[in-house]
Amino acid sequence: MRKKKMIPIALLLAVLLILTAVLSGCEGGGGGTDIGAANNASKGNNNAGGTGKTDTKAEDTKQGNDTNATKTDGDAAPAEGTLTEFKQSPMLGSVSVPVKDRLPEDYKITNEMPEDLLKYEIGTYGGTLRTVTSVVDWDADVFIMNDEALLNTPGLLGKEVTGNVLKSYEMSDDEKTFTFRMRKGLKWSDGQPVTTEDVRFAVEDVLFNKELTPIFPAWLNAAGDPNGKPFTFELIDEYTFKMSFDQPYGGFLLSLAVQGWRGYTDLLKPAHYLEKFHKKYTDVASLEPEIKKAGFKKGEWVNLFNDKDITNWELTNPKSIGFPVLYPWMMTKKTNTAATFERNPYYFKVDPAGNQLPYIDKIQSTLVQDIEMVTLKTIAGEVDFSRESASLIKMPLYRENEDKGFKALLSNLHVSPTDIYLNMSYNDKNWAQVVNDVRFRKALSLALDRNEMIDSIYYGFAEPNSWQDSTYNIDDANKLLDEMGMTKGSDGFRTGPDGKKFTIPIEIGAQAPDIVPMTELVVEMWKQLGLDVTMKKIDGALWGKRREANELKATVMWAADPMWYYGDWGQGIWGTAWDLYNSSGGKKGIKPPDDVAAFFKSLAKASVSNPQDAKAVVDNEIKKAIGDKYYFIVPLQNVKQPLIVNAKLHNVGNENALAVATDYAGEQLFFAP
Amino acid sequence: MLNYIGYRVLQLIPLMIAISIIVFFIIQLPPGDFLSTYIQQLELSGTKVDAGTILSLQRQYGLDQPFIVQYLVWMKNILVEGDLGRSFQWNQPVSEVLGGRLMLTMVISVVSLIFVWIIAIPIGIYSAVRQYSILDYVFTFIGFIGLAVPGFLLALVVLYVVFVNTGVSLSGLFSPEYVDAPWSMAKVMDMLPRLVLPVVIIGMSGTAGLIRVMRGMLLDELSKQYVITARAKGVESTKLLFKYPVRMAINPLISTIGWTLPALISGEAIVSIVMNLPTTGPVLLRALMFQDMYLAGSFLLIVSVLTVIGTLISDILLAWLDPRIRFGGVAD
Repeated sequence: MRKKKMIPIALLLAVLLILTAVLSGCEGGGGGTDIGAANNASKGNNNAGGTGKTDTKAEDTKQGNDTNATKTDGDAAPAEGTLTEFKQSPMLGSVSVPVKDRLPEDYKITNEMPEDLLKYEIGTYGGTLRTVTSVVDWDADVFIMNDEALLNTPGLLGKEVTGNVLKSYEMSDDEKTFTFRMRKGLKWSDGQPVTTEDVRFAVEDVLFNKELTPIFPAWLNAAGDPNGKPFTFELIDEYTFKMSFDQPYGGFLLSLAVQGWRGYTDLLKPAHYLEKFHKKYTDVASLEPEIKKAGFKKGEWVNLFNDKDITNWELTNPKSIGFPVLYPWMMTKKTNTAATFERNPYYFKVDPAGNQLPYIDKIQSTLVQDIEMVTLKTIAGEVDFSRESASLIKMPLYRENEDKGFKALLSNLHVSPTDIYLNMSYNDKNWAQVVNDVRFRKALSLALDRNEMIDSIYYGFAEPNSWQDSTYNIDDANKLLDEMGMTKGSDGFRTGPDGKKFTIPIEIGAQAPDIVPMTELVVEMWKQLGLDVTMKKIDGALWGKRREANELKATVMWAADPMWYYGDWGQGIWGTAWDLYNSSGGKKGIKPPDDVAAFFKSLAKASVSNPQDAKAVVDNEIKKAIGDKYYFIVPLQNVKQPLIVNAKLHNVGNENALAVATDYAGEQLFFAP
Repeated sequence: MLNYIGYRVLQLIPLMIAISIIVFFIIQLPPGDFLSTYIQQLELSGTKVDAGTILSLQRQYGLDQPFIVQYLVWMKNILVEGDLGRSFQWNQPVSEVLGGRLMLTMVISVVSLIFVWIIAIPIGIYSAVRQYSILDYVFTFIGFIGLAVPGFLLALVVLYVVFVNTGVSLSGLFSPEYVDAPWSMAKVMDMLPRLVLPVVIIGMSGTAGLIRVMRGMLLDELSKQYVITARAKGVESTKLLFKYPVRMAINPLISTIGWTLPALISGEAIVSIVMNLPTTGPVLLRALMFQDMYLAGSFLLIVSVLTVIGTLISDILLAWLDPRIRFGGVAD
């Protein structure tokens, strides 16, 4: 009897089990792919050796001297070209090509960070660096560690520009023509040589191909202007090429260096690999099976090409497995929870003792479900390097757990942490009238107690901004508002020109952990002026959309201002419609007032000037204008950024370095035994 | 009965079409699309993406097509080729993204379900039979706590306590050396002890709820005339209990299968996020946040199909289990 009653339940379980089996049937294997390293290592290297080599060497020395003479040479490293013996990681013992032949003749001696930021030590090989990310197919720590730009700016501060993937550059006196020399014998990670043919392919067959590049990138136009004329390209020989603009564009050099983490992929592509997917070199009909396999429609070779062409920001994407690169590490394996990067046997940098970089053999990037899980793994000592997900607010937690084998260092932050923006181009008469009055913005700035911000949010690891007035004076602030005629109503709130309560709705996307507490403080401080201030946290994507559509009235966000001069001074937030007018050449948006137009001119000037001149423009014009006009409020500077590193990790930049600069120079990190 | 089932299955077709349209529409409702979210994420890291690149990415992903075209292409691929589309975020076919996770999710869910039943049904029966006994109060008390405390909070507390006391971050289902290893006996053995915690945490609220349901239903039954009659006729009490009242009281279990099936694959998303479990819940959440529409759409579609099938199964089972239930309008 009892047995019978159990039948329904048993049946139920059986049904569940069958369903389980059916559903798990649609699992497609799940395991990772593992091509890449092995292939690359075993692939024959058929580059020219022997006789030709000595000739080109002699010629190159001459060129090098020429470049030195014009004082714009790339590498300042001491021993370039003088090393004769090279060593390699034991991991590469099975690679048949000797390390000397894998390195370019014009190898680069590591010089990522100036001496005052890092005392370089000769490292030892080996180890796996563990990083953690909470974003699918994106690990910012690994991305920055791997990214290689055509030129370099040591320490990432934009003070000087040196060679990187390119050996050296020469800029004409009128700042219009740039001659670049490539490293002789430089090779892709599959052993194929890197020559100007690869540059020509990237320029002529991709950039200037209307199908592949429907909108020409603005930064490659003269003076970075969307309406400017594209550069002209001239191939000189196998290792030299020239780019010319019809207007001075000294800032182009910094654009080629780290700016915007651009990498080399815009101007340098592995032609031998990509030609197989390009209409010009391969019959579209023969590509059809590949096109179909990639899920595109018949004849869509453009989509196939774009899919196969891995740009630098896709380097943490599984598609990049097997793609020839110049990075220190390349992705070799990817599963749903982890990505493995292994050293590139053809990487072109060595240390002063002739050891091929990187020192560390592998990077293991683990994907977790949530950013808080990164913290948990960090304090459990399961992470060797973490910058992107580390935050100052968690510093006590990190320090408390430092006995787990890691160090929580305080480095410099490469962006200003939290600036406050009022959208002066917002489409509301009442709002615009108030916000466009400089007295109003000054009053708001006067009402901010910088010291309280520093103490309560940044634990003292920040300073008041030095180029904007940092005085805290509520009385003066109130006086300014009274002067503007913003009288207090019966409810104690100040009114706008329309006679109604004036409200500042701050909408934030909480893109960084300090944005919410900072905004809360700002709200309280501004309320003391009798202003109705509110804070609303919205989704980051929605924030972006609202900002683009000029729908944000007020917000809090960081800006990249302390670092480079590429013209991003938050104008897309405090003057969205004006910025659009400016960047579209007057086709869209709203015409800005004269002072803002002059400010935009200064920005444009800074972004096209060479680093020294740009710095002068930034200091004398841009910062001064923001200081006088309060286009946006920059309360703090020199905020510290935690950098989590394994306690055994060496060649980590000191506290004066940017945290991100240590990340960028990842190939010189090593584990001390 | 067969007529009834056939009729019901036919009804499902327009229902599924409607669901798929609604699902796809809702996913596209928020402003922007996958690319704008992705590009914003890149921009926040300081990477500049050109307008031209964005345009070619849009073409590559087919995002330049109108909503209706995207929907039709997706449906066509599902119906004709059984292809659920491609996840933008993961850059893999949806079936591959969900595959391994679905299996793990089901393992966790099935084990949790069995755990819940094994614990809750006997306790429920006991509580009803020994109403107002000390153990009834104890179970009731624990039950209410289990019902009131959300699973993710419990997970956080457990993680915290374990970490503070042992320094081990209990996260994931496998030790680091097995995370990416192919399936093997060793990997299963590695997983089993790590499975206990999520199963107990996920099962907790279910157990509590089920105890209350079992107890309530059984109490109802126990006071009914037929039980009293049987008892008066001297039927042995255990036999009596299991032959009729328990059978009746188990009804709610069967009628909730319709919801149990989808729950099996959607898993406890928040608990999974907190405990870093490689299940489908976090994937769905992230797919929705990133507007990864084919992934989110396919997942919601699968869940809907399962809900519908589950409801069908529970209807059939109920009819079989409880002869008092009749099918409206259709001859048996």
